Amino acid sequence: MARWTRFRKLFGLEPKADVDAEIDFHVEMRIRELIEDGETPERARRRALQRFGDLDRTRRECVAINERRRRHMDRAEFLTELKQDLGYAVRMMRRTPGFTAAALVTLALGIGANSAIFSVVNGVLLQSLPFRDAERLHQVQMLYPDGTRYSSLSAPDFMSVRADSRVFEQIEAGDTLPLTLLGAGEPREINGAFVSGGAFDMLGLQVALGRGFTAEENQPGRSNVTILSHGFWQRVFGGDRAVLGRSITSGGINYTIVGVASPESVLPDPADAFFPLTFDQAYDATTMRGRRSEFLSVLARARPGVTAAAIDEDLTRVGLQLETAFPETNGGLKITSTPLREMIVGDVRRPLFVLLGAVGFVLLVACANVANLLLARGSARHGELSVRAALGAGRLRLIRQLLTEAILLGLIGGALGLVLAYWGTNALVAARPADLPRVDAIRLNGTVVMFTLGAALLTSLIFGLLPALQATNEHLLRGLQESGRSGGGGRTHRMRAALVVVEMALAVVLLTGAGLLIRSFLALTQVDPGFQPGGAMALRVSFQGGEYKGGDQVRARVDQLLERLRSLPGVTAVAAGNVLPLTGAGPMNDFAVDGAPPPPPDVNQEIAVGGVTPDYFKAIGAPLKRGRLFTDLDHAKSPAVALINEAGVRRWFPDQDPIGRRVLSGGPRDVVGIVGDVLQRTPGQPAIPQLFLPYAQRTSRTVRIVVRTQGDPLALAPSVREQIRALDPNLPLADAVPLQDMVARSIARPRFYTSLLTLFAAVALMLSATGIFGVMSYAVAQQSKEIGIRMALGARAADVLRSIVGRAVALAGLGVIVGIVAALALGGIIRSQLFGVTIFDPTTLGSVIAVLLLSATLASLLPATRAARIDPIKAFRES
Amino acid sequence: MNLPAPEILRGTLDLLILKALSWGPSHGYAVARWIEQATNDALAVGEGTLYPALHRLEERGWIAATWGASENNRQAKFYALTRKGRTQLRAETASWQRYATAVFAALDAPALD
Repeated sequence: MARWTRFRKLFGLEPKADVDAEIDFHVEMRIRELIEDGETPERARRRALQRFGDLDRTRRECVAINERRRRHMDRAEFLTELKQDLGYAVRMMRRTPGFTAAALVTLALGIGANSAIFSVVNGVLLQSLPFRDAERLHQVQMLYPDGTRYSSLSAPDFMSVRADSRVFEQIEAGDTLPLTLLGAGEPREINGAFVSGGAFDMLGLQVALGRGFTAEENQPGRSNVTILSHGFWQRVFGGDRAVLGRSITSGGINYTIVGVASPESVLPDPADAFFPLTFDQAYDATTMRGRRSEFLSVLARARPGVTAAAIDEDLTRVGLQLETAFPETNGGLKITSTPLREMIVGDVRRPLFVLLGAVGFVLLVACANVANLLLARGSARHGELSVRAALGAGRLRLIRQLLTEAILLGLIGGALGLVLAYWGTNALVAARPADLPRVDAIRLNGTVVMFTLGAALLTSLIFGLLPALQATNEHLLRGLQESGRSGGGGRTHRMRAALVVVEMALAVVLLTGAGLLIRSFLALTQVDPGFQPGGAMALRVSFQGGEYKGGDQVRARVDQLLERLRSLPGVTAVAAGNVLPLTGAGPMNDFAVDGAPPPPPDVNQEIAVGGVTPDYFKAIGAPLKRGRLFTDLDHAKSPAVALINEAGVRRWFPDQDPIGRRVLSGGPRDVVGIVGDVLQRTPGQPAIPQLFLPYAQRTSRTVRIVVRTQGDPLALAPSVREQIRALDPNLPLADAVPLQDMVARSIARPRFYTSLLTLFAAVALMLSATGIFGVMSYAVAQQSKEIGIRMALGARAADVLRSIVGRAVALAGLGVIVGIVAALALGGIIRSQLFGVTIFDPTTLGSVIAVLLLSATLASLLPATRAARIDPIKAFRES
Repeated sequence: MNLPAPEILRGTLDLLILKALSWGPSHGYAVARWIEQATNDALAVGEGTLYPALHRLEERGWIAATWGASENNRQAKFYALTRKGRTQLRAETASWQRYATAVFAALDAPALD
């Protein structure tokens, strides 16, 4: 093949010109011959052309053949050279196993970490939701005058939106409720999704077995049918196909199983079974049917091409209509919507992208490190490259060879990284916060592999180009033989120093981010939860169906239950209620202080309301601030009383004593005591006003039981379970968990983000310290003669030591300055995740600077001691 | 030239080109002339077929081209047999001879009984 190349370079003609010249020559020769035979020049020309035939066609045919040949040659040449380069690269990698191992480990870590985080980002954020036309699905919401959005609508409002909005193709509603299920083995608590007629169709949900709901089944009286979710069918019925036609019982109603959903058919709020949504007498006419009884989650699919602005405009119009028509209930309320994707993953997008960015920084640090290694090796390979240059290899050819080596490194590193990413992804999924959405979509799929390949190639170019340019600079090409050891030394050294500064700066950015998150996390753990989680556990029990017709029966059973649990050894307090710390503030009710001026009509004055038994505060370990707690004397028929938390006092009784005052929430109640604020959601969210009523006066069918013990609360769980079973074997139990675990769970997300970012920062710090170590070692080796001279002239070992360490610290200092500036500029990105610190937190910034400078000092100590031990005489002899 | 020239068989032209070049490198015109003379112009090899054939042979690596000075001192593209081409020529010549012998033998054979 080399032969063809030589020819091509020899004539340097394009195929077309080549063919033209050849054919012209032919025609000319023929003319000459004809003239020699006695023809006139004109006739000769005509005859020659005539004889030739279709000149253009021949020409085109020949050009086509030549072009095809040239393409083949080019490809063959490329492949031959690639083979050469690859062979060369493999030999180089074998010959310097230390370098190869260091580079591959660095790259595999960098690329693998990126692929692992990317697989999470891809699954959670980038892949479309498992619904038909998911990008056009929106959740309809109510917007209250105080700016809060409620993601549920009342049934009449849902009907109004459905009838009046114009931008949506379809609007459906659903309501997911906990149900107690009988008739499927043990009694159990399940999530039942009550969905309106077209919900399956709108979301593209499929039945794998049986049939979907019919239109009539959304009519009252016809709705006693259910479709099981695939998971529930597998779990509870073992995938038995004979379930169709059997029935399950809940709340005294038998539901016939008519179908089983396909495995991928799940709702945004996963449910165990689907039921037709109806609006009949079962919903209390006065409250549930009221326009301010919001319990429906409403999803709508926009028509194709409808913009967010158009949707907003349309819903605002519907809202205004409702305000005019129903000023009493809908005054001041607006209707709005949020894309469903935003609803599901909105609050994890920012942190996940921050993590992806952070891990990208780690990869950049890894690139800088490998580039550094390559630069160092480039100096060592100076001789070899100049020989090749002298033998006629052009600069581009040499750069191509060096880049091939880099890409080979990158690809092998990427392949190893993919293996690491496989483990990493599994580890991430295992360590994820329990409430991370869409975890089932996280997997190492083709997209992730393509991302890894792309990352590997890009990485190769980033770390390979600079060393390749440097190794083939003019000195080399001019064949200037600098003294063997310092080939292009000064410039290479400066370049390596610059890379170290970049690495340090990147490490500073990551360290600052990690530091701020750590400080925020520590601040979160320092937040006083307002209760004592240690020693207490909670579980959930539901009282539904037959035996529990009304509140009296439920209350009686709860009393018996508490009595039994109280008698367990070690138990110090037992309580029941419909609230629990860290599980949400509970249902909201209207609120007013009796005698105070009523709130303006457009202000939605609400308070969270919970019903608890007398020992609730003792059981969770929350203090009574003033007044009294509930007693057994506060029963269903005694005067209505309430406890208010301190947040409520601050809001409504800023300068007054609430005890003895009457408040209106549902009905009038007398405030008898003030309790301390207890965290309701997460430590990052301050407690909102909360009103506690005696459980006897606010009974709920689903209660949380709290048991406080002197010992390990988990050890107590089996006997608690036993006691409840003994009382009623049909009671479903759920969510038995120590309160301590609930505290841990409430900060699981910040813990997850913080741990990952800290890990990345640590890797970046380690890599950049390695970088500084490499550069200083190289500098010491390069300058051993100069150091020798200085020592011969009387410099002491300590001076040499100080000067080397000083240079390392100066480099690090430069990196710190650049990095701090960059970190402050980027700080806004994580501001929303900070708690109790600002991005200018001096402790964090100070620690980062100290850590960086310290690590630079440590990294340079070994080369510095080596320098200090240089024997001047030996140094001279060697040079 | 009065009788219509027989259609040249596919592959035959390649063989003739290789044969033409077996005497030494020459340019396309010379190859054309040699074929005209050697066959008394009975095959009427047009340039429209000759040149693509030359380029195809070059593509296959049987002949190689260089630019050089012609007998009248003009730049001309000279074709030469490569080693591969020479082997090919031997093989094709042998095969042609076998083929022609067989056909002639058949033409001389007596009628069917």
